[in-house]
Amino acid sequence: MTRLLVALTLLLAFLVAASLAYGDVSLSWRELYHAFTGTGDPDPQSAMIVHDLRLPRVLLALLVGVALATAGTITQAVMRNPLAEPGVLGINSGAAAAAMAVIVLIQDPPVALLQAAGFFGAAAMALAVYALAWRSGTSSLRIILIGIGLSSLATAGTTFLSAFGDIGDVQRAMVWLAGSVYDANMIKVRLLALWLIIPVTLAFLTVRELDLIRLSDNSAKSLGQPVDRVRGLMIVLVTVLSGAAVAVSGLIGFVGLVAPHIARRLVGASYAWILPVAALVGACLVVAADLIGRIILPPAQIPAGIVTGLVGAPFFAYLLWGRRHGHG
Amino acid sequence: MTDRRAGHMTATDGGRLLAFAALLCLLVLAALSAIALGTVAMPPSTVTAAIFQFDGSRDHLLVTTVRLPRIIAALLVGSALAVSGAIMQAITNNPLASPGLLGINAGAAFAVVSVMSLFGAGIGDLYIWLALLGAAIAAIVVYALGSFGAVGQSSLGLVLAGAIVATFLTSLTTAVLIFDQSTLEAVRLWTAGSVTGRTMAQARTVAPYILTGLVAALLLGRHLTTLSLGADASRSLGQNPVVWRGASVAIVILLAGSAVALCGPIGFVGLVVPHIVRMIVGVDFRWVIPFCALGGALLVVVADAAGRLVFGSQSFPVGVTIALVGAPFFLYLARTRLRGEA
Repeated sequence: MTRLLVALTLLLAFLVAASLAYGDVSLSWRELYHAFTGTGDPDPQSAMIVHDLRLPRVLLALLVGVALATAGTITQAVMRNPLAEPGVLGINSGAAAAAMAVIVLIQDPPVALLQAAGFFGAAAMALAVYALAWRSGTSSLRIILIGIGLSSLATAGTTFLSAFGDIGDVQRAMVWLAGSVYDANMIKVRLLALWLIIPVTLAFLTVRELDLIRLSDNSAKSLGQPVDRVRGLMIVLVTVLSGAAVAVSGLIGFVGLVAPHIARRLVGASYAWILPVAALVGACLVVAADLIGRIILPPAQIPAGIVTGLVGAPFFAYLLWGRRHGHG
Repeated sequence: MTDRRAGHMTATDGGRLLAFAALLCLLVLAALSAIALGTVAMPPSTVTAAIFQFDGSRDHLLVTTVRLPRIIAALLVGSALAVSGAIMQAITNNPLASPGLLGINAGAAFAVVSVMSLFGAGIGDLYIWLALLGAAIAAIVVYALGSFGAVGQSSLGLVLAGAIVATFLTSLTTAVLIFDQSTLEAVRLWTAGSVTGRTMAQARTVAPYILTGLVAALLLGRHLTTLSLGADASRSLGQNPVVWRGASVAIVILLAGSAVALCGPIGFVGLVVPHIVRMIVGVDFRWVIPFCALGGALLVVVADAAGRLVFGSQSFPVGVTIALVGAPFFLYLARTRLRGEA
């Protein structure tokens, strides 16, 4: 297991280095090393490309991947549903509706407004789902169903705007909705990193609770877990994590769904292992997706959210069906 | 036979039969008034006369060429999506399942979008066959992927395969649309789900598939109840889950594929109507299927009429109004009816 963690970390480091090196201006490994460390008289242009353009973007992709995968892992455990991802809490549809409204209704919205709309749309929907599902306690099924209902209302709003809005605005909104990390800078990276520290730490401290709540409400209760309180805390964590990811990068789907499944396939059922492995897998997925989206059809940049689907889906299929002896 | 999870009013077969008859009357009433009402309101006698004694007048033409095809499309699509959603939820034991999970919507959308992007938007009625073909191929791939290997023994395989294929195709579709504005312009009303401007010929193209699927689904009811208990229970009750799951998937392809081909990817009906029906009539699929057929049709007819009358727009996408009409009712039910934990 430790070997797997090391291997994944090495893979992530390799992907990060490759993302720094490849692009419209490709650098050799030696040039990259000099530009990155500032030793050996580096070319100022490549130093600028590495430090100001590619590094923030790679770090942002990495953080977004960690956030989405952690949120997805928690959601699947709490909802006890293999299809569950942060989207079942209405996070995606809320963010999409808010962002679509901002893009279509406001002339040339500032990026900060778009991000705020994304985060608050997501948070408001998650809160509404949880509040409506609360009837002297919650149940996972009720949260899922209320999530479906509220999401469909928000999606109806998004669909309405996309059917009647200005076609250029709709297309811009689609790019945002597809999810990408193209306008990264160091301030954004630091903010997101600070923002993620507390929820990610909390998630890692509470893996034992995930092992329990995954079973069923009754079993978890009889093992002494305050189920409603844990579920509430976990939903707050998911909202904070994926809301932040959505705000900086739009809707990068599939990572939250597939990273936990890949992790479970690799390390079995204990969340103490699933959570770190899923976080690493998620980071690798988003970093790789952004890299591929940048270099596959230059100068066009394919949004990372589309590449996660295009590359992640076949890879996941291979993991599930390609190997003879799965864990069932 | 009583069912404790059903509401008190409909807890007996007699009660269910009564509710079914009432729903049927309501549906006929809604369909007739949807034909009668509109920018030009006409008395019900004109409507029946136009259908049974067509005389070529302007009103009769309006009924037979514009309103009737639209209502028929709404009826077909509503019942097909709701029934196929119920089947999907039964065979996957998953409340999040809908026909879209089989890749139906994603496959249809990808086929239509890619062909339009390659050959231009002027493909006429051909898009119906494209959508049907895309939906069928995607669903068959999902079923094949989901049925072999270690995960294929449980419903998990189908669920994950569906998520994978749907994500892959949706990503491809989005990639095409982001770079091709004219195709986006041409398909965005279709992708919102719409029954506007459907012709009798289009409805007639898919009607046989949907009707066959509905009859087959009604016959399958008992087996669906068993399947909905999970693969292990179904096997121990002497059922071959693989065979019946395959048959169910074939029916879903017929129903939902045709529905999406006719009216675009409408998500809400297939996901929510089965939940509403189960919360009201219980978990016996011999009842769930017919109630879904009527309930889905009623929802789409009412939502389409609401779009025309309230918003005053002939082309208001029915996918939007369906959610506006259906979601509040569903939320109310989910909050009040769902006491047990899961």
